Amino acid sequence: MLTSCGKTPIGNTVDFSVEYPPEDGGTMIDATRGEPGGLITMIAGEAAASAVAQNIFSSLLRYDKNLEFEGELAESWQVSPDQKTITFKLKPDLKWADGKPLTSADILFTWKLVTDDKTRTPYGSDYKLVVRAETPDARTFRVTYAEPYAPAVNSWAGLQILPKHLLQGQDINNTPFARNPVGSHYYKLEKWRSGEQISLVRNPLSTQGPARIERLVSRFIPDEASQFLELMANNIDTMILNPVQYARIFPARPELEQKFGLYKELGNSYTYLGFNLKHKPFDDVRVRKAINYAINKQELIDGVLLGLGEPVSSPYKPGTRWTNPNLAPYSYDPEKARELLRQAGFKDSNGDGILERNGKPLSFEILTNQNKQREMSAVLIQRRLKEVGIDVRIRVLEWASFIGRFIKTGDFDMVVLGWSLAIDPDQYNIWHSSQQAPGQFNFIGYNNSRVDRLLEKGRMELDPDKRMKIYHEFAQILQEESPIVYLFAGYGLPAIHKRIKGIDNPAPPAGIGHNSQEWYIPKPLRRTEISQ
Amino acid sequence: MKRALSNPLALSGFIIISMIFLLALFAPLIAPFDPDAIDVKAILLEPSSSHLMGTDGLGRDVFSRMLYGARISLLVGLVAVGIATFIGIILGAISGYYRGWVDVVIMRTVDVMLSIPTFFLILAVIAFLTPSIWNIMIVIGLTSWMGVTRLVRAEFLSLRSREFVMASETLGATDKRLIFKHLLPNSLTPVIVSSVLGVASAVLIESGLSFLGLGVQAPQASWGNILTDGKEYIQFAWWLSLFPGLAILITVLGYNLFGEGLRDVFDPRSSRNR
Amino acid sequence: MVYPKTITPHRDQSVNDMLKYLLQRLFWMVPLLIGISLVSFLIIHLAPGDITTTESGFDPKASEESRQKLREIYNLDKPVIVQYGLWLQRMVKMDFGTSFASHQRPVFWQTKDKEGNVTPGMIQEALPITLLINVLSLALILVIALPLGVVSALTQNRAPDRAITLFVFVGFAIPGFWLALLMMYWTGVVHDWLPISGLHSQGAESMNWFARALDTLKHLALPVFISALSGLAGISLFVRNGMLDVLHQDYITTARAKGLPENTIVYGHALRNALLPLITILGLSIPGLIGGSVIAESIFAIPGMGKLFYDAVLMRDFPVIMGILTIGSALTLLGNLLADIAYAWADPRVRRGVMQ
Repeated sequence: MLTSCGKTPIGNTVDFSVEYPPEDGGTMIDATRGEPGGLITMIAGEAAASAVAQNIFSSLLRYDKNLEFEGELAESWQVSPDQKTITFKLKPDLKWADGKPLTSADILFTWKLVTDDKTRTPYGSDYKLVVRAETPDARTFRVTYAEPYAPAVNSWAGLQILPKHLLQGQDINNTPFARNPVGSHYYKLEKWRSGEQISLVRNPLSTQGPARIERLVSRFIPDEASQFLELMANNIDTMILNPVQYARIFPARPELEQKFGLYKELGNSYTYLGFNLKHKPFDDVRVRKAINYAINKQELIDGVLLGLGEPVSSPYKPGTRWTNPNLAPYSYDPEKARELLRQAGFKDSNGDGILERNGKPLSFEILTNQNKQREMSAVLIQRRLKEVGIDVRIRVLEWASFIGRFIKTGDFDMVVLGWSLAIDPDQYNIWHSSQQAPGQFNFIGYNNSRVDRLLEKGRMELDPDKRMKIYHEFAQILQEESPIVYLFAGYGLPAIHKRIKGIDNPAPPAGIGHNSQEWYIPKPLRRTEISQ
Repeated sequence: MKRALSNPLALSGFIIISMIFLLALFAPLIAPFDPDAIDVKAILLEPSSSHLMGTDGLGRDVFSRMLYGARISLLVGLVAVGIATFIGIILGAISGYYRGWVDVVIMRTVDVMLSIPTFFLILAVIAFLTPSIWNIMIVIGLTSWMGVTRLVRAEFLSLRSREFVMASETLGATDKRLIFKHLLPNSLTPVIVSSVLGVASAVLIESGLSFLGLGVQAPQASWGNILTDGKEYIQFAWWLSLFPGLAILITVLGYNLFGEGLRDVFDPRSSRNR
Repeated sequence: MVYPKTITPHRDQSVNDMLKYLLQRLFWMVPLLIGISLVSFLIIHLAPGDITTTESGFDPKASEESRQKLREIYNLDKPVIVQYGLWLQRMVKMDFGTSFASHQRPVFWQTKDKEGNVTPGMIQEALPITLLINVLSLALILVIALPLGVVSALTQNRAPDRAITLFVFVGFAIPGFWLALLMMYWTGVVHDWLPISGLHSQGAESMNWFARALDTLKHLALPVFISALSGLAGISLFVRNGMLDVLHQDYITTARAKGLPENTIVYGHALRNALLPLITILGLSIPGLIGGSVIAESIFAIPGMGKLFYDAVLMRDFPVIMGILTIGSALTLLGNLLADIAYAWADPRVRRGVMQ
């Protein structure tokens, strides 16, 4: 059988675990599932685009390894005493990759672009709250809001600054610049082979200082199984593993462990079971709590993630300041679940094992999209709910149908979906009662006036400690009301070839890639490359 | 039938299919486990005496799932081809019997359907419907009747010019009698052959749809989705892809051998065979 | 020489009939194409979701107003039939439009803006790759299937025939993606024989043309092999059965009786006549040449037509879906017609049959 052949093709004689001093050069190859549409992220919103663009473009601010703000293009920034104005001071002598100076005029230009009605971006709303933007001098950029807006600082870490001298007068929606960008970050575009790969090469004029690795190549490989084959064959240096690859395949294959380092980072999202609160009986908190108690979260983590994840009890990254340390996940307690259902008036009157109330059985459909982990979670949930007398069917849908046909119309009972574990704590769009129109994100129909007030207050509070208290209270109400069941947050599981040195292990909260500009590939460990 | 089974290829095909049908039919008696019984303590176990074909990503017994999956995979083939054959016979008969503008309309419709690549059409429709097992069968059926239509029409056209049909027509036989008594029975042979081959394609189409995540829904098992689950671990959890892969291979092969054997025997021109 | 007797008493009239038939078929193509496009258009537009539900994903930072704005720009807020009218209006001018995706690339062919920047078309980029794979695979099929079919026919019902039949059926019955992954592992990971996925190696730009071509061929070897394997059965059985038909006909028996060498009989008469229907099959496979396989293209990371269409369906990128379907159906209709004509031209017996 093909399973036990251990011959590795090349590189067997090189010991990749030897340490070398840092040096410049080399090529790192990774794989992405999709090809970016373009590299202007305010237009091309997909993950594939931002993964590449973040190496090319800089923002005013960024997050450091502990997820605190630090300047990227900005040397410093100041919030006025009335909390309505933020003034950014740029670092001196910034340059675009083509040698032209990067000034506050470029920032103003980018802000105008993202707020322009003609720009086809879905991300303008944060920036439209700015009532005045000005550039007192070439190194100063100042924005004023009508009232204090706490997520503002975060929003300036998310806006990649574009060059005015190349884009002025162009139609931003349809500019060749999107496939041939000029930025100011560590790398610049070398070549984009349509449908195959993008290669970036070091930008000698980088505003952030030099990176060590000479060239970054991203190959487009849609199938994960193929990506893994390429990884095993030493043709790509890094990919995000799934739990089985991480916990089963690697330990069973010493020749892989010799070549690759395995890392673990905090996940960026959590998976949840959401109720349609406008449908009976999910308007009854006892039913929601009963289901929460009936689901064994540890079993989900063990079964779906092979233990490579953790339970959450608030929508924030575990261990960060926004997470309320006093909250614990609902325990697995089927007895309590049955008791709560009994209190809510459900009993099995016809002996079919399914509970009823007023002749109506507890029978629902769980919807989810084509995502292996969500599908497996739904299967595990189905079994546990059956044990307390709830009948569940599962329906897995392709994304556009799922959103278009069911979520937008509110035509669903329960969904298994994910939200990101946001770095900024503002959750207004997801939980505020005003956000329930079709297409908006409070599609489960959550409506709680206390939460509404907290979310409004949290947006206007820029003091981190006061803000923290607000969101701790918010998370506590969510926990008590259980409008969703937090299932788990899976770890990110990158495998990186050992020829790449300088990696921070264990990964800090910001993730393994936070210092990728310091990674290096010692000459003896490089692939034999065809000189270019 | 007897003649068909004297052909060794057809006979082996027939035996293969019968065996698989028996296994599927008696799945509840043979299967050692409930196919949906999850055991997170037994994830991805190698084949052993307790789990003949190992376990899958949720600790379910692959052998039991293969048996129950056989039901789905066989059913998809049969129902889909049943639908296609039914539509094909009706339209082909109308087209070949009445000719004239009816024929033109039907044959142009066939052209239209043929000119939209079938797999694309299935993809588009499945993406827009929800991929339940019934929808999959219906969609495969609704997109593959064109071949049968052409076959039946051609048979009708040629039969109508045969003496015995002309004779009954002049003797005043009704349309109904002509169609059901004379034309249809005599044109069924090629249809049967093409249907047997069609079942084989339908089984493959289902596995292709599963690959794209558009196949039979969880937690129900089909060979296609077991195989797809296994594709990520092809070098590690080999049992997860080997067994469904072989099962599909053997079944499709069985249908093909049987169908081709039938064709060899029944083909009116193949006096060559004896 | 003994050939099947063909009766063509009024040759001129038959050519006229042929022309008339041709014109008739060509005329039919217009309403057919409109019908096909209308049906496709309705199916994809009545489906749930549109580009605004897929593009910015499910990002709470993306506002519903901006999505509404997009819907207006793309006329997605108008009734379907109005949208179809607009599309048809553009199609009459052979304008396939631009993609709904954020990059807004032309669907079919490249455009040039006033500064001379060329934006390549999506189909323009994907089509040559798919064509190359399909042509190579068709060639491979013919090269293998013809001899197999002949041997099969000559050894009818004996061991070689049975073995060949079994072999081509196994090729058809193996789930392609499973075999593909096994082969990729075997030839790419266990042995360093062939590249695993993609079209070019790193640094392909700096190779000379020969090395480059060789590199591309190496990348295409597996995809072509996998796709050819499933097509073997059809052609080889076709040749086998065609040969058998011919070999049992009277004129062959006559030829044998006259003592012609067996080789002349087999290759001069039987094979030649058995190959005639193959022309039809090849004609019918013309439209198939532009359709890629999503599955193979995903696994091998090849940016071809199958992946393009599949992604467009999932993205609800209507102009791209419609563009591919329209080109595909036009080619199919044309292919059918060509097949009929070629066959009629090659075999006068059919010429009369077709026109009846």
